[in-house]
Parts: sequence; C-alpha cells; structure tokens
Amino acid sequence: MTAAAHADQPVPMPRGRRRTELLLLIFALAVVLFAYVAVGLGLNGKVPPGIPGYILVFALLMLAAHVAIRRFAPFADPLMLPLAALLNGLGIVMIYRLQESGRDGNPGNQVTLITTSATKLQLLYSGIGVLGLVLVLVLISETRVLARYTYTLGAIGLFLLAIPALLPSSHSVVNGAKVWIKFGGFSIQPGEFARLAIAVFLAGYLVAKRDVLALAGRRFLGIDLPRARDLGPVLIAWVASMLILIFETDIGQSALFFGMFIVMLYIATQRTSWLLIGFGLFVAGTLVIAKLVQHVGERFTVWLHPFAGSNPTGIAYQNVQGLEGMAFGGLFGTGLGHGQPFFTPLVQSDFIFTAFGEELGLTGAMALLLIFGLLVQRGLRAAIAVKDPFSKVLAGGLSFVLALQVFVIVGGVSGLIPLTGVTTPFLSQGGSSLVASWILIALLIRTSNSARKPAPQPIQDEGMTQVVRAA
Amino acid sequence: MNRALLRLSLACLAMFALLLININYVQAFETTKLAGEPGNVRIFDQQFKYQRGAILANGDGTDVKIADSQLIKGTDTYRRVYPFPKVYAPVTGYDTIYGQSGIEETENSLLNGTDPRLAVHNFTALLTGKQKQGATVELTISPAAQLAAYQALLADGGHPAAVVALDPTSGRVLALASYPTFNPNVLTTFNGTKFNQIDKALINAPGQPLLNRAISETYPPGSSFKVVTSSAAFSTHKVANTSSLVPAPTVLTLPNGHHLINDGGEVCGNGNPQIIQAFYMSCNTAFGKLGMSLTAPVLRDYSSKFGMNAPMRIPLPVVPSVVPEVQGWTDPSLTAFTAIGQFNDAVTPMQEAMFSAAIANNGTLMKPYMVQQVKGPGLSVIESQTPSVLSQAVSPTVAGYMKSMMQQVTNNPGGTAFATASPQATGGIVIYGKTGTAQNGIDNGNLNDAVFTCFVPVEANAPRPIAVGVIVQGGGFGADAAAPIAVALIKAYEQAHG
Repeated sequence: MTAAAHADQPVPMPRGRRRTELLLLIFALAVVLFAYVAVGLGLNGKVPPGIPGYILVFALLMLAAHVAIRRFAPFADPLMLPLAALLNGLGIVMIYRLQESGRDGNPGNQVTLITTSATKLQLLYSGIGVLGLVLVLVLISETRVLARYTYTLGAIGLFLLAIPALLPSSHSVVNGAKVWIKFGGFSIQPGEFARLAIAVFLAGYLVAKRDVLALAGRRFLGIDLPRARDLGPVLIAWVASMLILIFETDIGQSALFFGMFIVMLYIATQRTSWLLIGFGLFVAGTLVIAKLVQHVGERFTVWLHPFAGSNPTGIAYQNVQGLEGMAFGGLFGTGLGHGQPFFTPLVQSDFIFTAFGEELGLTGAMALLLIFGLLVQRGLRAAIAVKDPFSKVLAGGLSFVLALQVFVIVGGVSGLIPLTGVTTPFLSQGGSSLVASWILIALLIRTSNSARKPAPQPIQDEGMTQVVRAA
Repeated sequence: MNRALLRLSLACLAMFALLLININYVQAFETTKLAGEPGNVRIFDQQFKYQRGAILANGDGTDVKIADSQLIKGTDTYRRVYPFPKVYAPVTGYDTIYGQSGIEETENSLLNGTDPRLAVHNFTALLTGKQKQGATVELTISPAAQLAAYQALLADGGHPAAVVALDPTSGRVLALASYPTFNPNVLTTFNGTKFNQIDKALINAPGQPLLNRAISETYPPGSSFKVVTSSAAFSTHKVANTSSLVPAPTVLTLPNGHHLINDGGEVCGNGNPQIIQAFYMSCNTAFGKLGMSLTAPVLRDYSSKFGMNAPMRIPLPVVPSVVPEVQGWTDPSLTAFTAIGQFNDAVTPMQEAMFSAAIANNGTLMKPYMVQQVKGPGLSVIESQTPSVLSQAVSPTVAGYMKSMMQQVTNNPGGTAFATASPQATGGIVIYGKTGTAQNGIDNGNLNDAVFTCFVPVEANAPRPIAVGVIVQGGGFGADAAAPIAVALIKAYEQAHG
C-alpha cells in the first residue's frame, strides 16, 4: 500500500461508545425497577410505596457516574458501569425484600439484623461508592501515576489491615470475624480498602523488581523454580496472610490477599512456578491451620459433611439453610418475595447469593454469575490492551481478585469449597465492601480509558516534506 | 505479560464455569434430595400451604375419598381430613406436621407434589399463576369390603385382629383392616406440643393402635399352613392325589420321644384316611408325618413359592412371613411341628390371604398391590399399575387338588369350618378355606390364635373372586372366631358387585 492510497482512506475516528453505555445503563435501571416492583407484588400484591424515591435516587446516582465517565474517561469500556449498576441495584432490591419480610403485613419471618433503614443506608453507601468512582476518575488522570505512591499506599494498606488485629475485640469483632473497626453505631471493614492499597503497592513493587524475580533457578519436574533468595517476598506475603488467618480468623480475606499477590507476581514475571508454589503453600498452610485452629477446622467439617449427624441443626445450620434455599428455588425460583430466604442466617451479607438462588432460581443465579464473569473479563481485556506494565499488573490483579472474591463466596455458600466469610461484591449489605467495589471498578474504568484512548495524532503528515522557501 | 493475562482470563473462565456447574448441581440435580432432608424448614413450611392430593378407594368402581385436604376458613392453610378415619387408618396412615405413615408416607412425594413427574405441571402452574397441587392417589381398596372388615373386627369384641382381602386374579388389595386402630384426624393438628402429647398417648395406648397387624406383625399360622404342606406333598408326588391314603395315628411318637396328637386327642378317620379327609378334619398327626418325610428345607421352599421368607412392598412394607432357618430346624421332630404351622412358623394376615389367592388363581400367585393409579392435578395419569405374577406356587393340577380339599373344609359336614362358612351359613355364597387354631406363647401358655384363609372360587359363579386371610389374636378356634369375619367381608363385597 502506498502512502498516497493510505492517505485516501478516511481515518476511523475512535468512538467513546458513551451512547452504548447510556443505553445499557437505562436497560440495567429498568431491570432494577421491575425487580423492585416484583418484590412488592410478591410480598403483598402491592407496588412498593417508596418506589419513586428509591429508584429516582439510584438512577440519578448512576447517571451521575455516567456523566463523570463521559467527562473524565470518555474512551472507557462501555460495559463496566452498566454491569456494576445492575449488580448494585439488584443488591438493593434484595436487601429491601429482606428488610420488608415479616413487617407491615408482609408474610415471612423478620430478619432481626436488618433494620427498616437498611435499604436507605445501602442507597447512601451506593452514593458514597459513586463519589469514590468520581474522585478516582478526577484525581487519577492515568492509572500509572499511582505507581508514584507505591510505598505510601503499601504502608497505608498494611496499617489498615493490622488495625482490627490490634484493636480490642469489643471494637473489632462482628459475627466471630475480627476484621472490623467499630465505634459507636459506625463500623467499617478496613480490609476491603487495604486490598486495593496493597494491590497498588504490589503492582509498583513487582513491576520494578520483575526482572530479578523472573530469573530462573533450578529446573525441576519440567518447571523452572525461582532462586531461593527471590522467594523472600512470596514467603513474607504467605506469612502475612497466614497471620491474618490466625489473628483475624478470616480465611476468606487471607485467601483473597494471597491469591491476588500470587497472580500479580505471575503477571509480572510470567513464571508458572510462582503460581504452583503459591497455591501449594496456601493449601498446605490452610490445612495445617485447620488442624490447629478449631474455628477453621470446623469449616472443613461443615463443607464435607453438612448433613451428617447433628450438623444441620448445629455448626452447618447456615450452610444447610443456604443449600436448601437454593434447592427450593429450583430452576426458576419462587419469584421475588415468594421464597423464605430469611431462614438462612446472615442472608443479607455473606449468603445473599442463596437468596437470589431461591427467589430467582437457577436461571437468575446463573445470570448473576455471568454478569460477574463479564465484568471480570472486561477488566482483564483492559489489562491486556493497556500499554504500560504497571497498569497491566494492577488491572489484571484487580480483575482477578474480583473473580476470586465471587468464587470464594459463591463457591462457599453453594458447597463447592469450604465457606469463608467474604462479602459478595456489589450485592451484600454493607458500606465498606460496596464502596471498595466501586473504587475497584473506577480503577478498571480508568485503565480501560487509557487502553482505548486513541494515540495522539501527529501534528502533520510525516509523508510530506515541509518546503522551506529560501528567502 | 499478555500471555500471562490471557492464561489468567482462562483461569477466571474456569472458576466461573465451576461455579455454574456447582449451582446447576444444587438447583437442578440435587433438589429432590435436599427437599427430602429431615428438618428442611422450607418444605415443612410449604407443605400445608397448598392442596395435598386426595386418596381415593376405587375397588367398587366409584371413587370414595378417604383422605382429603381442606382449606381452613380465613387462612391460606390446608388441613388433612380423613372422612372415615378409623375404617381406613391402616391403609391411609396419617399425615402430620412431623411425618407420615401408610400410603401418606409411601406416596408422599406424589401427594405433596414434589415428585419429578409433577415438575412439568408445577412449572405450568407457576407460569399461569395457578396454585401448586399434589397428585391424587387411587387405591384398589373396596369400600364395601373395607367397611365390612372394620365392622366385623369391631364386633368380634376386643381381640387384636387383622384381615386382608385380595383379588386373586390380579393381586389387588381389596381390604386391609387392623384392630384396635386409631383416628388419624386427631394427629393432623398444627400444634407441635399438642401433637407430641397425642402421639405419645397413642404409642403408649393398650393394644398398640398404631400397629398395622395386617402387614407389620406375624403370628403362628397353625393348621392353615397345611395348605403349604399338602401343596408340597402333591407337587413332590409324595402323595399322588386327594384320595391317596395317609397314615394318621391318634398319637404320633416323634424321633425325640415327644408325642404329637390331633386337636382334642381325637381319632382321625380309620387311622389311615384319604388325605382329603385328614385335611378337612385337620389331623395333626397325618401332616406331621407327611412333613417329616418331606423334610424342613422342602417345606421352606414351598412356603417361599407362596411368597414367604421375603419382604414385600404393596407399596406399604410387608414384614416377611417366615419358616426361619433357626438352629436345629431340620430336626425331623421339629419338622413335624413346622408342617402343621407351629414351631417357628410365623405369618402375617396378608400371607394368609396369599395362600388362598395362589390356590384360587390355579397356582399362580399375583403380586399384591394397593395403588391402582396416580393422577396429576390435570387428571392425567402419571402412574398406573398392571397386575404381575409374584410366583408360580403350584401347578394348576395341584391347585385343583387343593381346591377340592379346601372345598371339603367348608362343605363337608365333618369339615372344621362347616358350621360357619358352608353355603348354608353364608347365605349361598360358596367359600373354600382352611382353618387354623394356633397355639402360641411360652409353653403355649397364651390363648390360641384363630386363623382362617379362604377364597370364593371362580367356578362358584359368584360376582367376583376374592381371597381372604384373617387372624384373631387369642380368638380361640379359627372356625369360630376368624371365619365369621371373612364371611362378613365376602358377603359385603359380593353384594356390592352383585
């Protein structure tokens, strides 16, 4: 192709696809609206009275996010916001459904932990989450600028992570897990934010050191083992996650940290041996701790024998209720408002997926998983498309940790793996998880914007030589 | 780095695939198992929120509702109602907040609508907004026979007793009654504490009303077992035909020195009568001697051909009637007692009916069953039972010999049941049968159990063939206590079909 022929082709103008995003967002909002109406009809045959308020506020929040993306990340992936909005909206609908059961003439039992302000609070948290998204987009012009704060964010992350372990139990334990900061009526789970800060730290650290880490040591059974001295950081991360496991009795959180670390190490170095070593270490460590710490060992018993002996009414009560709820939903579910998800303890947080399984059936539960899967794949796509290594490692790690979180909690409540208490991103009741999830999505949106942004146009066509006239 | 990211996205895909497979397993493949887990609070909570299927007795050609679900006024809750509670209790069983028994238990998944075969209907109901509904179970029970059986047991005056009637040509259970019995309506309360009180009272009540004597309890068959002994003797050609002579001493000295005598020590004919006479007079010595020459294993083989020594479901579980292989059971001295239905022989009233059913059907024993068909809420037939052969007990020739012998029991003035089951006594209905008066208890210290097995032969031109087995615990003579119950039942059944 000659230069002249090339010049004749119209240069395709890269499109931001913001209109697609808006259409998809309106579709997502419509689904949420209908789900909300369905809850009211299911519970007592009436359209819920607060409907205009709730839906209007939620729609305005999401449209605000859309406008922010239009302004600050015009080339971002158009799917991420609608997918996250759909999950967030359905989460609010389910919390509303659980909040209303057993109240004001609605059938069912009251879930005592859910107050009548739960839906409003969740809406408020969504607002804070969207604010977080906007702030990320405004303050961080390119993902890679975060690399400047590698060690600062690393220190902040570790500090956040350690607070609950250092605080007295009265200020840090909720439902057996010592992962909270609790003062008065206010409580946050710093681990959710620590994970994001540590992800940034890891991306910066690993990109800086990846050449050393990728150096091969001995070859064993067809895999290249790293040099012993390079194992240091992995071992430190392993010990740290095991310490979280012991002091905060939280397998889920430690699995997320460790999984994220190993995967980011793998992306940075491309060495499969890191994955194998990491996975082996985690499984071995968990098994040993399961033997030593009763709370952890119990989880394995519950996983393997939920229906044995007195387990269904004892230690496996929650899991059994969740499983029976999902099974009761069957293929098509009981319909929103028609099931009895309130029988499952903590159904509004850890077990919210089983409530969807019960009322929306296998079809609805599969749809939710596909939405999560799509979100993860869009994040990974951004990681692949973006140019700079720091953004690649960060976006890859964040996408993976989102997938891992869904895997750990959905796998846990559906009996695939031992149950560990992590929240379901976007769906579970609670502010920390929701806000952190929105910030995670904001970082992925920012990365996808960098990836899809057209390269700056040259000022002039290099094919032509400028003629300088001699005076 | 992109290679690592691509691999990672495959790993994420695999993770989501695993989750999808797992929830498919839980919500599509394991639903029935999880629904059946004891203490499943969702199933428990739902079970009275929609109409459980009815149970019908259709043995007389019209549907008679014997269990129904009725909406309690002003609520969304259904309560189980049994219109003829005590008459059908051994058949229907009960449906309570904590569990079921009887047909309510064996057909539970169909009645409550969780059976996979109802899934399509339930799904349509979901889409059209109709209410989920259980399937209707139609039984082979004849309301006329069942009511007569219950009333006859009641009239007998307080002995624990049970009666079973079969259609010998198909195996259909026509009646299944047990006394004393209970009222399942009192167990349908939704109040757990009240239920436990009532349940406890029933369990501890004298006479064990919850025990289904017709199929869950065994009794010594006594002389009615001579049907098996004679069948074995004819089939093995130890005895050629009904007029063959058999030794029947007044006192039979056994190898171990004990003596076997006839009932009341009476003489059996001339001491060497035709087998048919020994049978209608029910001479113990003749059949004791015959049993010894047959040997215990052969007697056991023939008892198995009549359906003994094996459990059975009709679909209610029937405990096995047995000639047990206890230690020393082949000892000839003991075999002499086995041959006359004593020693360790034990049978259910159901088995007594099966002895006659096999003979009445020319030696072919049909498998007893109670559920004729199951209809979905749309009246579509989900399940339908066709008669099947359980075993060939004896050849048609031997069945012919047995019929002649059983005819004499009721028709010969010297027969044990002439007074109570001859055509003169039954108002013209021809019944063939065999009585039994079984000694039991330690050192035979208990009152004798009265046993009667009988049938209306096809040849008798009665409207319908029927085979009946009756056992009255402590009733005394089989002919006196048990036969009238069978006769009352047969009369009612034939009248209903006349």
